[in-house]
Amino acid sequence: MSEKAILFDTSRCTGCHACQIACKCWNNLPSPTGLNENKFSGSHQNPPDINGTTRLIMTYTENEATIATKRVNWAFGRRACQHCTDAPCASICPAGAIYIDEATGMVTTDDSKCVACQYCSTACPFDVPRYDGVQGKINKCTGCVDRIENGMAPACVTTCQPEALDFGDRDEMIAKAEERLANLKARGYEDACIYGVEEMGGLHVIQVLKYGVEAHGQVANPQKSAVTTLTEIMKPVTGVVSGVTVLGLAAMFGLAAGYKRDKVVYNPETEDTVSLITGDVVQHGDPQDDKSVKEHITENLPVGKKGGSHE
Amino acid sequence: MTSHWCDFQNADVILHCGSNSVENHPVSSKWLNKAHERGAKWIVVDPRYTRTAEMADIYCPIRSGTDIAFYGGMYNYIVQNLIEPNLADYLAGKDVPVYNFEYLLNYTNASYLLDAEYSFDVETGLFSGWDDETNTYSNHSWHYQTESTEEWDTSASGDYAWVKAEGVPEFTTPTIEHPKRDMTLADPMCVYQQFKQHYSRYDLDTVCAICGMDRETLELVYATYAESAAVGKSGALLYALGQTQHTYGAQNTRAMSVLQLLCGNIGVPGGGLNALRGEPNVQGATDMGMLVHEHPAYLKWSNTTDRSSLRKWLESQTYSDGYYTNKPKFLVSSLKEWFGENATVENDYGYDWWPKVPTHKGAQDYTHISTFELMDKGVIKGYFNWGMNPCHSAPNAGFVRRSMAKLDWLVVADQVATESATFWKAPDMNPAEIDTTVYFLPCALIYEKPGTILNSGRWLQWRYQAVEPWDEAKPDYEMCDLIWTSICDLYEKEGGANPDPILKTKWDYYIDGKIDPRPVTWALNGYEIAGTEFNGTSAAPKTALLSGYANLKADGSTACAMWIYSGFWSNNDAPLDAAEQPIGRRDNNDVSGIGLNSNWAYAWPNNRRILYNRASADLNGKPWNPDRVLCEWTGDKWNLVDAADFTAVKNGTPVPPNDKAFFMLWEQNARLESYGMNDGPLPEHFEPFETPVDSNLLNGSLNNPCMMFAENESTSHGTVEDYPLVATTYSVTEHWQTGGQSRMCPALVEAMPAQFVEISEELAAEKGIMKGDKVRVFNNRGSVVVDAVVTKRMKPMYVHGKTQHLVGLTHHYSWAGVFGTGDTVNDLTPNVGDPNSYTPEYKAFLVDIEKA
Repeated sequence: MSEKAILFDTSRCTGCHACQIACKCWNNLPSPTGLNENKFSGSHQNPPDINGTTRLIMTYTENEATIATKRVNWAFGRRACQHCTDAPCASICPAGAIYIDEATGMVTTDDSKCVACQYCSTACPFDVPRYDGVQGKINKCTGCVDRIENGMAPACVTTCQPEALDFGDRDEMIAKAEERLANLKARGYEDACIYGVEEMGGLHVIQVLKYGVEAHGQVANPQKSAVTTLTEIMKPVTGVVSGVTVLGLAAMFGLAAGYKRDKVVYNPETEDTVSLITGDVVQHGDPQDDKSVKEHITENLPVGKKGGSHE
Repeated sequence: MTSHWCDFQNADVILHCGSNSVENHPVSSKWLNKAHERGAKWIVVDPRYTRTAEMADIYCPIRSGTDIAFYGGMYNYIVQNLIEPNLADYLAGKDVPVYNFEYLLNYTNASYLLDAEYSFDVETGLFSGWDDETNTYSNHSWHYQTESTEEWDTSASGDYAWVKAEGVPEFTTPTIEHPKRDMTLADPMCVYQQFKQHYSRYDLDTVCAICGMDRETLELVYATYAESAAVGKSGALLYALGQTQHTYGAQNTRAMSVLQLLCGNIGVPGGGLNALRGEPNVQGATDMGMLVHEHPAYLKWSNTTDRSSLRKWLESQTYSDGYYTNKPKFLVSSLKEWFGENATVENDYGYDWWPKVPTHKGAQDYTHISTFELMDKGVIKGYFNWGMNPCHSAPNAGFVRRSMAKLDWLVVADQVATESATFWKAPDMNPAEIDTTVYFLPCALIYEKPGTILNSGRWLQWRYQAVEPWDEAKPDYEMCDLIWTSICDLYEKEGGANPDPILKTKWDYYIDGKIDPRPVTWALNGYEIAGTEFNGTSAAPKTALLSGYANLKADGSTACAMWIYSGFWSNNDAPLDAAEQPIGRRDNNDVSGIGLNSNWAYAWPNNRRILYNRASADLNGKPWNPDRVLCEWTGDKWNLVDAADFTAVKNGTPVPPNDKAFFMLWEQNARLESYGMNDGPLPEHFEPFETPVDSNLLNGSLNNPCMMFAENESTSHGTVEDYPLVATTYSVTEHWQTGGQSRMCPALVEAMPAQFVEISEELAAEKGIMKGDKVRVFNNRGSVVVDAVVTKRMKPMYVHGKTQHLVGLTHHYSWAGVFGTGDTVNDLTPNVGDPNSYTPEYKAFLVDIEKA
């Protein structure tokens, strides 16, 4: 099988939410079932962001009109894993739970290996992998590799009525994107562009963005974080990082200890690990407790299993 | 619709008005995108900047309820810019490519002379024929002047010899009245001149002041859409409930028909008047005539006046010319299916057993809105509520539930405990005070039973059963059977009032002793009565199925419940197998090259994909556009790409081209002016029942003089002084109507967890409302708390020289439900209706809003 990609043409997208729903249905992802448990976001964007049980959402962004005959630029966007070629989540994952599917290039997951360390969340330049507290696993788009292997397109693509989503060989998707871009430019959408050809070594979600990168909620010039780069250097050396007191990794130790916060930061002055979201101190003192990092990582695994993706 | 979904790809211009199709009919987007990327121009006219507006090239706002002003302005624009400057040239034989004069002159009634008494009075807003006492029109003066008359030839060799055949009920045959015409369009009484004069008042500035548009955008919309009037070009007009749910909704629909005729867009690929119907078989329900005054297959029910006997029905309904000269065949065949062997020529085929809709002076009205008035008054004491949810969906829903509380009994057949099934649980109801006995019949979901389904393009498709019904749930036809047979048993054992209509009815839709939808399909398709006898077993199914409605007879030898469907289930080799029938066809190899897909499923009538397709070619039978051919006269015969919607062959001989492009009308030319509407021969602008303005800028009548139900106390009219905001209602794609199905899907509730009111940033600032705030929306009829969506997509309008705010509400939530509930938005909508269809005015009313 050759390298694959999902093509998302925002100019064909009608913001109908079908991809979001199809993703949940195919992947058996639960939705809240309490009476009126879902809170309305104040816009069409519900839930407001991806979460532990929602791998894909549609985004809706309103900006001042740039076309004289329109009232507003209402940009529909797709927020989900972009399936990087240089995927930091896969390279940082100590357990082999996130890996690149060699046949397609999709960044897929093996739930059974996830140790819930959430390094991937921190590493992702798109802020995509989310922790599912109930399952104790990281959740993100798998590229529907299970479907692709059986000759089908990803669930989101199959359900798309306006044919805004397409799936096939990556080269072919890029060629189609270029055709669409030319069509859009001819219709006066001057800021339209293609996203995903070069970013992060090349994404496996190629997007035609009618109003430009930011308007559709995409990250301009995404980069690997320093943490990821460092981990990539360390991993081949030690197999699994152990007993290292590298300041930049300190926050990750806190995460490895099982905190549910998406983002925490370590303050070396006070020796506190602090939640970026709430500002609460989630752990006092030196983040290195009695257990080794390896023990932290493997403590939830079945007996005899070792973490690490390169064993 | 006159066209079909796949045909949108052929359009040169697309106009959405009163439709948000990419949201509410997602499959449309695929075909619209194809046209758009090919270069079609796409216009959306809507009070809100919708998801569809985002797809389009031009967005033009409009104040809810002012569509006729918008269309009238477009007629005026076309008359002044395309017709008047070029008419003399065309008549002098010059080529005028920018406007299709040949279509206007020959295929419409533009040249017909109207009755000398015809008039319109701008001062009163009334057409000729108004009766002050009854507030109704006589349409006498809306007819044509007659040039000559002709009688039917019923002799043995005549076209109408069948009338004299044995078994055909006696009736006086109609007289063909050939209308007077002026092919130069100069006569002041010709339709074109009257039309031109009528809409000369609809100038750009007046339209802008009424509709809340800016002149530049309006002119751009008119100019862009008028491009579709060029010879060989086509414009597709898409509409939905945004047009129909007004006190002049049927006139809105006519207004669009007139626009499409004026532009030569009916009967051509990429054109059409496209009514986008709801997913769960709304087209099928319409075909079945599920209204008080409609009989299945677009025939009229028997009534107490002009259709009180079979003879009267035949004489009032049979057209003098065109295809509806065959109506006696359709009606007698319907009666034969209804009453079987009990229907004979001697007893008028059982016609008198049919109930008569009261239409005499002072008769009780039993249409939807009136039903609840009659409950309130204690006239209606029992109510079957089958597959609908009026406590949520009917206008003035608070009044509806209070009326239901006066019933002795209520039967609700549904899949979930809807608001109507639990009306006593509404937050404002006190169960202790309600004595209504409620019976709930759990019914099978569409995937739990086999049956037919129709889409907007009139395609009949067969839906197979996927799973067994849950628990005790049953398909509707099985419930009908149980109720029907129990009633018949009771009549037989105990007797009762009017036994004949019950006991004479034929009810034999069983196979091997079990109620089955397939014998129903035989009834819908039609069969020869003297054909093979079906013995009720699968071993010997019926095999005398008709190949189409052309085989129907008025002499009692054929039976057919739905003449328009005839042919959809006609394979006598496999009468039990849907897959072997035309309805079951699945060949998507499109030989037409323009997406007709004629071998996929079956489109009624006669597998015709584009109605009125004769109009796709000129008087000589040459297609207007050689790349989009539906039919073409080759010199000695017709090359038919689509099934002909005209007489292409008669008695085995090809019929050369003529001007009879609309043979479903007796004059066989389409009507710019029509005597068929209850509220006027030309669409005229009136304000909604509740309007923010105090005058009608176009005539002396503020509201439609024929508006229905406004006099009822329950409607609680509100004024702009108390409720300054124009409101409209609509659906989102994530939910289906009252949410019985969609609010039972957690993923859909998660994707759209609440109903909301969309308001502009300007109004939000004025009222101190922020995005996501809870707000109270209220008027005389009700008060609801919903979430606020503050958006740039809504903007204040400038109406009659003043700033006017407009808000929009979704309506999917109410008190019943397990994952998501809310207030009932239809507590706000007025229970007033259109005088032709009785459709309520959900789309334009007044409210005020405050932070909750």
